[in-house]
Amino acid sequence: MDVYEVFRRSGHKDPFEHCGAVIAPDPQMALMMAKECFLRRREGHHLWVVRRSDVHSFSDESLLEIAGDKSYRFASAYRDVVKKREKARARAEELAGA
Amino acid sequence: MTYEEKLAEFSDHIATGGKVEAEDWMPDDYRRGVLKFIEMHANSEIMGALPERECLPKAPTLRRKMSLAAKIQDEVGHSQLLYRVAEDLGKSREAMYADLVTGKSKFHNVFHYPVAHWGDVAIIGWLIDGAALVTQAALLESSYAPYTRVLKRICSEEQLHLRHGEDITLALASGTEKQRWMFQEALNRWWLAIIHFFGPKSNVEKDLLLRWKVKTRTNEDLRQEFLDRYVPKILELGFSFPTPVPFHDEDGHWRVVESEIDWTPLDAIKRNDGPETARRLGWRRRMYDDHRWVREAMSEPAMHAA
Amino acid sequence: MNDSLISLLTALGDDELIIGHRHSEWTGHAPHIEEDVAFSSIAQDEIGHATAFYELLAQITGDDPDRLALGRSPDEYRHAILCERPNGDWAYTLARHWLYDTADALRLEALSGTAHKDLAAVAVKLQREERYHMLHATTWMSRIAHGPVEGRARLIDSITKAFAEALALFEPIELEEEAVKEGWLPVPSDEMRSRFLAHAADGLDQLGLPAEVVSPSDQSAEFVASSSGDLIERNGNGADGREWQPSGLGGRRGTHSPDFDALWDEMTVTYRENPGVTW
Repeated sequence: MDVYEVFRRSGHKDPFEHCGAVIAPDPQMALMMAKECFLRRREGHHLWVVRRSDVHSFSDESLLEIAGDKSYRFASAYRDVVKKREKARARAEELAGA
Repeated sequence: MTYEEKLAEFSDHIATGGKVEAEDWMPDDYRRGVLKFIEMHANSEIMGALPERECLPKAPTLRRKMSLAAKIQDEVGHSQLLYRVAEDLGKSREAMYADLVTGKSKFHNVFHYPVAHWGDVAIIGWLIDGAALVTQAALLESSYAPYTRVLKRICSEEQLHLRHGEDITLALASGTEKQRWMFQEALNRWWLAIIHFFGPKSNVEKDLLLRWKVKTRTNEDLRQEFLDRYVPKILELGFSFPTPVPFHDEDGHWRVVESEIDWTPLDAIKRNDGPETARRLGWRRRMYDDHRWVREAMSEPAMHAA
Repeated sequence: MNDSLISLLTALGDDELIIGHRHSEWTGHAPHIEEDVAFSSIAQDEIGHATAFYELLAQITGDDPDRLALGRSPDEYRHAILCERPNGDWAYTLARHWLYDTADALRLEALSGTAHKDLAAVAVKLQREERYHMLHATTWMSRIAHGPVEGRARLIDSITKAFAEALALFEPIELEEEAVKEGWLPVPSDEMRSRFLAHAADGLDQLGLPAEVVSPSDQSAEFVASSSGDLIERNGNGADGREWQPSGLGGRRGTHSPDFDALWDEMTVTYRENPGVTW
């Protein structure tokens, strides 16, 4: 028997989410048991079961660390847009008046 | 890093509210302590199913038959979630089961007692689940993160069980004299065991689980929360308490007289010598042995195309 | 007349209630924790199905579904004896589960064509859950059938034991002729029994299990009339002197085995001791 990690998705807006694990002899039984253990209250409509041995992860989390400034990946880097719009409008007026 | 250095770092981490995951380094006494605690919790959920399943065949309506079956199903589901967490700490389900049925590991006191009639269903569903919810909600702050994640689901299901138990209680309380008697008679039998459930006063210095923040609140604190919440509700339904009888203190809390609590039944249960312990564990052991062939059929790959 | 419809609905409701009751007895000590959870859902489903049939009955007679479920005397129940048998070991439970749900699938399929529109709607609705029950039963049967020798032997033994009684799921109901005439029962019991026999034999074959359990000799037991007018098999009589049918017949006429006594007593005690109260 193996540990199968269970993922469920409700509807179509959100991705699959991990919700627990079952111990089962094969994928078909794992699906049946996962349905009973994790979908009794209709928490999802779709189910994945994955053998734990097929799940991979980083053992060294320092590999996920960021060194430099990567603020350009976030909308907060563009908070000065109001000031910049003002500046551009003023320049346009300036040119129109010339 | 030496063991001592790692231990110091770990202690700081816990002291500043840090959480621990299954794959993290842990001192041995943390790992052993949290495993034993979660194992006892898992054992309690599966043993808790036994008194309740004795009441299930007698459910007095179709709807209660289904809802009680669903409630017990949830409890078995909780044991499944908890055994999984314990397994990841390094003990197999087989080993935990063997220790349970041979009496090496323990389960909560309340599940060592017999059940008699539908009044017991009300008490178990409302007051015992209510007590469990008080302790489990406190454990949501535990330092061991995988435990808190399953506790989130367990607590939300226990909330539902509480409503179910209260629903059953209110039907009895609003019913015939015989129905009210059912609740009162069961309360008379269960009250002391419910007080025992929270345990004696915590020894903050010596309690490993409190030091490592696996538990974050003392036994007496949790018991106080339970008394304040449930005693008034029971009294307003016109029921009375056996010893230890709660009284209203000047500071507004509901208290019991410590010297009125007889701890000897709990001492017996700690030795696995409760009223129903031997019978229920014996039953589990027999079932486990009887099902060996099923486990074998599940463990082996398909032997042949028949 | 409604009497034959009442007869049909009673048999249907009682089958589901009693087998649901038996399934629910596994709660807390099934062989595998995840399966404990799974099998409990199946038990709840069956009790839910019983409720649906009793509610239809209640609409017709003005009776109360809980009284129908829990307030009748033992000889008023019309379930097949197969349903009241104790769970035995996991092999017997699986064999009975597979046989019962195979029969139920055929029964519901036929009932979807009943002249009673509400019953037809219930039959169609219940088929959804029964599909899952069949998947569950077949998955387990397959695993045990293809597994180690001990499990396979127990399973074959259990199927043999349960099969004769499973046929009695299609013992004719009381007032069957009228029920067929009115269109309540679209397919007569004899025809349903043949369908079940063929289906079960085929199913067992696909699972790699010997279909000899469903040999012709099981079907053609010789029946004689007893002094009470009940039909009994020539080779059967209860050790306690009560007339009960070893082949599992009699349930549709209210004649049950000694196994039903204890079940009925436990199932109905709280209800009976407190008639008419709210729970």
